This record gives sequence, structure tokens and C-alpha cells, in this order.
Amino acid sequence: MKYWEDFKVGERIVLGAHAISEAEILAFARKYDPQPFHTDPEAARRSIFGGLIASGWHTCALMMRLSVEANRREDAAATGSPGLDSCRWLKPVRPGDTLTGRSEVLETWPSRSKPIGFVRRRVDLVNQHGEPVVTIVGLTMYRRRPVGPAVRA
Amino acid sequence: MKYFEDVAVGDIMRFGRYEVTKEEIVEYARQFDPQPFHLDEEAAKASMFGGLIASGWHTGAMFIRMVVEHMTPVHATSGAMGFDDLKWLKPVRSGDVLTVESEVREKVEGRRPDRGTVKIESRVINQHGEVVMSLVSLVIYLRR
Repeated sequence: MKYWEDFKVGERIVLGAHAISEAEILAFARKYDPQPFHTDPEAARRSIFGGLIASGWHTCALMMRLSVEANRREDAAATGSPGLDSCRWLKPVRPGDTLTGRSEVLETWPSRSKPIGFVRRRVDLVNQHGEPVVTIVGLTMYRRRPVGPAVRA
Repeated sequence: MKYFEDVAVGDIMRFGRYEVTKEEIVEYARQFDPQPFHLDEEAAKASMFGGLIASGWHTGAMFIRMVVEHMTPVHATSGAMGFDDLKWLKPVRSGDVLTVESEVREKVEGRRPDRGTVKIESRVINQHGEVVMSLVSLVIYLRR
């Protein structure tokens, strides 16, 4: 198990990849962000974006998915997030794009009242051309390494 | 239609009503945030949250749905550059009813003559009047 103590400033992780389809973009947007450039390929073609683009909140959701998978690979004791400092949508995400990502630990500090610690990290998603599409700086909480009598045999 | 010129710092807008269901919490989490406290009632009970809670990004998605339904039709906006200072303040649970309160914080002229950026602080509020999420969006407004 990877606990809060195990995260070091400067530590970098490469996230997995996700290829986004038109059907996925439409399904998310129809439910949560029904603006024509997210829900209607024809209307999107006539918009300033020149074609269908994913909701920024969909891109963030995919970043979350890739981050959860990375936590799982590391067996990290993540226990939610109090929020983000910033999020910028830098480039449109279009059907057929393959997104991948990287994250870097910027800062770590322990909670004063709970057996958890905080990790501030930057996460970037890039498309198949290497262009950043979204960048965030956000916080994640991790459990502290348990103290007390060793239970190992 | 409200253009960049028509919004003023201090303007307050209240809108939206979103009923949160267990089915939707789990459906969103399966797709985007498969952590036990978003997926499984039993595991969630044993977690520090004491029961199933919505993914914070799901709350963000419900927020943007209310914005698109109520603000986008009457405001000449062209998406957003992003947001700052997003806080998940309280868990969102099945049965909660959410609404939004938005306040114009700052207008930024920028370089483009046809648009400007408006910083809008929004609070997502539950049926008990508790703020569950807040953020400052950087919304692009067209000029008249």
C-alpha cells in the first residue's frame, strides 16, 4: 500500500491512455453539457470550433478516470479530494483523439487533525499530437502510514 | 440576451434544481471515478464518508447542466477557459436536491475586441442550504 508518506515532491507518473469516440462525447454532453457544439455534429461544424468537441467537464472526468487507474496500479491509499487550485481547458478535444497524461507532485503536507495527508499535484492531459488539452493543479488526500505495533509475523 | 457589457460585478443569479439519485451516482462513478465510496453502498458505509457519495467531478457535471439549462440561453457566452479555486466542501448524497447561486466577481477586458472574460463565483447548494461545492469560472462573454 502506498501511503501519504511515500509521495515525494517532483515524483512523476505517466497516466494511461483513452481514445474518445463521437458516441461518448454525445452521450456525456446530452446528459450534462447540452450545448450545440457538444451535442450536434452539424451545428458544431458551423460553430467557432469547426466541429464537434467534448465538454471540458468530460475531459476532466476522463482525467479523473486515468488518475484513479494510476492510483490503483500504485495501490495508493487515496481518500478523496478537497478541491483544485486551477483548471484550464487549452485545446478542444475531438472525436478520435487519444488522450494520455502525466502528473507531478508539487507539494505534500500532513493534516493536523486527521490521520491523512495532502498531496498537491499538477496533471496534464495531452492529445495524440502531444498538445496539452487540459492542465490542472489539484489536491488529493491519502491515508497516513499506520503506526503502532508491527503486525508482521 | 446578456452580453459582456451587460454583466456587472456583484450581479447575483440563482437557478437550477437537480435531484441526485443513487443510480446516477453509481453510473457516473463506474464510467469516470470508480472508487469504492462512489460505487458500493456497503464499502461506502465503512469509509470515512459513512455512506455513498457522488464523485466531486459528478457534482461539477450536475453544476454545468444547471448552468447550461438556465444561464446559457440568456447569456451570450462562448464556453469557458477553465476555473480556479474549486472546493468540494460537503459530500453529495442520493436524495439531495442541488441548486446554484452565482455571483459576478470580475470583468477582464482582454485583447480580443469581440469578447471579454467574466470571473463568476458559483456555489452549489443542497436542500439544507449547505454549500457543497464552490468554484470561480472564467467564462467567455461576447460583446454587443
